[in-house]
Amino acid sequence: MNWSLFFDLTVSGLTLGSLYALIALGYSLVYGILKLLNFAHGDVYMIGAFLGWYALHALGGPVNPTFTGAVVLFLMFVVAMLGCGVLGVAIERFAYRPLRNAPRIAPLISALGVSIFLQNSALLIFGAAFRDYDTFDLIGVKTYNIGQLFFSVPQLLTVVAAIGLMVALTLFVARSRLGKAMRSTSFDREAASMMGIDVDRVISVTFFIGSALAGAAGVMFALVFGQIYHFMGFIAGLKGFTAAVLGGIGSIPGAMVGGLIVGLAESYATGYLPQGSTFQNLYVFALLILVILIRPSGLFGKAAISKV
Amino acid sequence: MRRRRATAGAAVLALVAALAVVAAAYATPDRAAAPTATSGSGAALIKCGKTRTIGFMAPVTGPAASIGIQQVHWAQYYVSTYNKTHKTKFKLQTEDTQLGAPTGTAEALKGAQALAGSSNVLGVVGPAGSNEIVGVTKSLMDGGLAWVSGSSTRTSLTTDGTRTGYMFRTVPPDAIQGPTAANFILKKLKYTRVYIIDDQETYSTGLADAVQQVLKAAGATVNRDGVSQQQSDFSSLIAKIPRDTQIVYIPWQLPPKGQAFGNQMKAAGKGTIKLMGADGLYDSSFASVGAHVYDTNFPLNPKSKIIAGFKKGHGGDGEYFGAPTYAATQVVGNAIDRACAKGSTTRAAVRAAIRSTKIPAAQSLIGVAIRFNRNGDLSTLHKFGLYKSNGTVFVPIAG
Repeated sequence: MNWSLFFDLTVSGLTLGSLYALIALGYSLVYGILKLLNFAHGDVYMIGAFLGWYALHALGGPVNPTFTGAVVLFLMFVVAMLGCGVLGVAIERFAYRPLRNAPRIAPLISALGVSIFLQNSALLIFGAAFRDYDTFDLIGVKTYNIGQLFFSVPQLLTVVAAIGLMVALTLFVARSRLGKAMRSTSFDREAASMMGIDVDRVISVTFFIGSALAGAAGVMFALVFGQIYHFMGFIAGLKGFTAAVLGGIGSIPGAMVGGLIVGLAESYATGYLPQGSTFQNLYVFALLILVILIRPSGLFGKAAISKV
Repeated sequence: MRRRRATAGAAVLALVAALAVVAAAYATPDRAAAPTATSGSGAALIKCGKTRTIGFMAPVTGPAASIGIQQVHWAQYYVSTYNKTHKTKFKLQTEDTQLGAPTGTAEALKGAQALAGSSNVLGVVGPAGSNEIVGVTKSLMDGGLAWVSGSSTRTSLTTDGTRTGYMFRTVPPDAIQGPTAANFILKKLKYTRVYIIDDQETYSTGLADAVQQVLKAAGATVNRDGVSQQQSDFSSLIAKIPRDTQIVYIPWQLPPKGQAFGNQMKAAGKGTIKLMGADGLYDSSFASVGAHVYDTNFPLNPKSKIIAGFKKGHGGDGEYFGAPTYAATQVVGNAIDRACAKGSTTRAAVRAAIRSTKIPAAQSLIGVAIRFNRNGDLSTLHKFGLYKSNGTVFVPIAG
């Protein structure tokens, strides 16, 4: 057993998995409340990466930042999360709310339209060129190790920040008044409305939180892997969606676990399976199909009960 | 129970659809049907007028837009400089091929049909990808249009006889670039442990195959891998590269991806392994990875006023991947000028004029005169240049 390779793949898989989990949370939150697959979510993640890049350069750039690296990083996350949160609310308000009582296919098509709109808007506004985060200049290229376990600062930061955000979200949904309203709306939107819950507000907050998490994931991705471009949300969105379905769409712990499974599966497939890096997506989606066939509602999802 | 089955069925259907989208996004459909021999002659007389139209096909949007936009800029640069100094003018009729997108080749086909059906179009620049060329061949040939690509390098495109007299290119094929790189690795660097990673695009796999073939024939130990052009996370792939590897050959198309790969190699503690790219990575962003980086590229003329003028107008950025598209536009423009000498012409006459192109080295930014052989390849360019990074940019080295 090549333990060095195994540890490298595990670190890589956990990093990727943390990012997928954050994206998956956005899918799950929205699906839980609206039963809508928000296919524009991957592109919100892309916008978050760009907002982080602009924040970085507004703060002096990676080589000569105005503040210390930690402060700059914090502000990049704040800008990306706030910006994406507001974008998510706007998308819900203008693209989904008018279709709330339409057949379910209508908002789905609207979501695809928003996705293409965001991609091409980014191309128009940010240009086609790749943007470099120059993380090495901002944080340094140093790699740490515990025995054969090697990891870089951005990788560690990504895993820790993702776990922190997921724990905060879980506590928010479980213990806050607004979280309770979210759960009620998810359970029965009509009944929640009759009980005095402002459903529109709850949905807006849900979109804000989901999109803010995607924004954070966008910045984390760019910090770890270095570069961003207008089409980066496409495949990341699909992987996030995969993670959400695998974990049980609508379930917050499911999204987290699903994300980690997808990340690790992708990483191990690359390292161990024949032509793994070429067919890593094939292996990931094959795993998903397998799980769905055995457990259609995902790992943490609940089977729908219908009265006959 | 039924509901549960229905949910499972719907989920599987959604997955299959998602897989189809992903597969389409990554597809490089090389197996498109070969065109029939019944091609249009392009004999219809076209009045040239003061403003002549050149069809232009490039990935303006989609995943490959970052290289497509370079081709757009270089083509526009030719047109704008030409229009400033001539009484007659050119305009580009641009068709976005969306190379690499789920609908990529279909978009290229639609674009080719639009150009073939547009009576003003006299010749075409592009498309960018070898797979796209295969897809659009029939439409362009049926329309009697010749096309000159500034980036498609698959050797068989010009040697299989399917497109003779219609297709031309201003970049040398993989059959030239591959052996140049392989012989440099073997004979100059004297390396025998090589890791080759293609980016799953036709350009890259063809070149990787060519290099691998020469290296293996010489007895070198070669590991082969592939990674999607849309991938930015190379950490798992890098973990697989043995630490005793002497050089990693990455004939990719996107310089920022090469840069990201090089930086992630350093982050993984494998920064001492040499890296080598191809013409697609000939860019300062890839060179900035470090002085351990090599590259091959068509021999751009460093003293060319054309390149200096372009860089001045683009913030100092050479966008070198797009430079051969300038030459392609120059070829088509030059041919249209000659074919339109009497005020009207035919697409067949433009084809013949392209075939007899003679642009002297002094007017060519690729460093040599531009002339084509019978197949449509450059008859004047038989080798690639070799370069090494000085930590910032690539500088020529002896092969």
